Amino acid sequence: MDKYQQKAIRMMEWLMLIAAILLVIIGKLTGDTFFLRLATEALIFGGLALSVDLLLGIVGLLSLGQALYFGFGAYLSAVILRDWIPSFWVCILTVTFASALLGWITSYIALRSKGVYFALISFGLAQVFAKSIYNTRSLGASDGMVGVPIIQIPLPFVTLNLGDAVTFFVITFIFMGSIYFALKYFLYTPLGRIWAGVRSNESRLPYLGYNTAAPKRIAFILAAMVAGVSGALYPMLRGFVSPELMYFSVSGNAVITVVLGGVGTLIGPLFGSSLLMILKSVIGTLTLHHHIVIGLIFVVLVIFAPKGIVGMLSTKLKNRGVR
Amino acid sequence: MLESLQYIFAPQIINGLSIGVAVILMALGLTIIFGLLDVINMSHGEFYAAGAFLSVSLMSIGISFWWTLILVPVLLIPFGILMQELLIKKVFHHKDRHILTLLLTFGVATILEDLYKIIWGANTAKPATPITGASEVLGVMFPNYRLFLMVFGAALIFAVWLLIYKTAIGSIVRAATLDRDMSASLGIPVNKVYALTFAFGVALAALSGVLLAPIYSVFPTMGKDFILMAFAVVIVGGLGSIKGAVIAGILLTQLQSLSSLYISPVWSDPIVFAVMVLVLMFKPSGLYAGMKNG
Repeated sequence: MDKYQQKAIRMMEWLMLIAAILLVIIGKLTGDTFFLRLATEALIFGGLALSVDLLLGIVGLLSLGQALYFGFGAYLSAVILRDWIPSFWVCILTVTFASALLGWITSYIALRSKGVYFALISFGLAQVFAKSIYNTRSLGASDGMVGVPIIQIPLPFVTLNLGDAVTFFVITFIFMGSIYFALKYFLYTPLGRIWAGVRSNESRLPYLGYNTAAPKRIAFILAAMVAGVSGALYPMLRGFVSPELMYFSVSGNAVITVVLGGVGTLIGPLFGSSLLMILKSVIGTLTLHHHIVIGLIFVVLVIFAPKGIVGMLSTKLKNRGVR
Repeated sequence: MLESLQYIFAPQIINGLSIGVAVILMALGLTIIFGLLDVINMSHGEFYAAGAFLSVSLMSIGISFWWTLILVPVLLIPFGILMQELLIKKVFHHKDRHILTLLLTFGVATILEDLYKIIWGANTAKPATPITGASEVLGVMFPNYRLFLMVFGAALIFAVWLLIYKTAIGSIVRAATLDRDMSASLGIPVNKVYALTFAFGVALAALSGVLLAPIYSVFPTMGKDFILMAFAVVIVGGLGSIKGAVIAGILLTQLQSLSSLYISPVWSDPIVFAVMVLVLMFKPSGLYAGMKNG
């Protein structure tokens, strides 16, 4: 990661913060919550993309089934909030631990293979889960689960109401921001350096005395947790979950998001998710067939700018000679 | 005992076989493209749908089903060549080739699916069955078209195998797979071989689309449902292996149709994918990986 890329990343972090503040101000002033809710959803799917980037960009594992953990988090959150206890903290903590557990168990299946085979096995795993949920009547089968209540978050001095779009947006923003900075911190620990080593030359690390299995497993579990927690926020926003959340289109979209934003940059996925949401809603108002446009943009990106927006920005900075 | 074998198991087995042949045809294209180009073609299902749609359109202007069987694959060959030359070749020498080509074909799939909705609409079409009637096999009645599909499909699969393993063209293709640079220096036009092989895989997908259109319905996302099964077959059989695709195709479709005798058929998909995951766990590269194994 050269200094131009770091500079580009820092610029995008500020950009995200400014955009968020603007959104909140506009939302407060106009009372129009449509864009805030859209932005919240973008951030939630950004969290899923972040977990894909952790695997793909940091460790070098392409997951085509990350929606499995996202959907798992969403379903668990819906069950907890609706049928057990409508508490934000109980829900988030349970989902975090449960996703870590699921990640740990499935890592023994998925991490047996690498490269293309890892991509395919993660895809297959998600498929088994999605179809099983689809067939389980007690989880709503193909209809999913509706009627997840709007919840309150009791804090020492105030109680936050997630029914309020501005509050929900700010909470999600802080949530994703914390995950982002936590993951970024990991990159500079010894563990993070081993991940970089695994990505560039996995077979060489054991010769240097490093065990690669444990770091990979930790990354896989972390990714499952990030995806799971992001998923947990989804039913709080939308009030329902459906088996589509685990389908390949969700996993695939997350990969598109990562490539659009910039693989291995962590800010790229969050930024890419917001951009994709804007693109979809803008193009969606112009034509019914926004998939063609998204697909075209994606194909052009893969061919001409495989490093995404962060890559383009850092090349630009480099050419200008910004220090 | 014998009666249950005849009236319960035999129909399931034969139904499973007719689906199996179709899945194997799809899987063949996928596995050949992977074996030679190292490309996981995520848009394969959309080419299958293209075959079905084109066949329906051609039939609606009065061309007979039998002609579309030849015309449709031929019409799609230039498209396959273009895709290889214009898109896949661009990222072919990148070090993340697997990932980039997978993403690229995924993008193409997204575009094509929406394009079909524009051209043909979101409604479901169902062409008339070209062979009507039914015949008795083992004392049970089967639609003639399904029987035709099995025989024709099996012959086609055998022909593809012959083409790749017993002809000069096949050995050129296999040589290019094995060692690209060496083949190029021996005068094999490697780029042309790549483009034509990709197109051949696309044509096979389209052909299975034409063949299956009279049995299943034709709609823009039809590729999605079917491609998952074909992927499972290719993965279990081993990427790049024709023999593997045939064996895995028969195994998985038989598993699917026989398991539906005991448990609800909605569970057949999870079972198939669970088997796929199991195979990958213990034999990470599938039953017979690579083109050299036949």
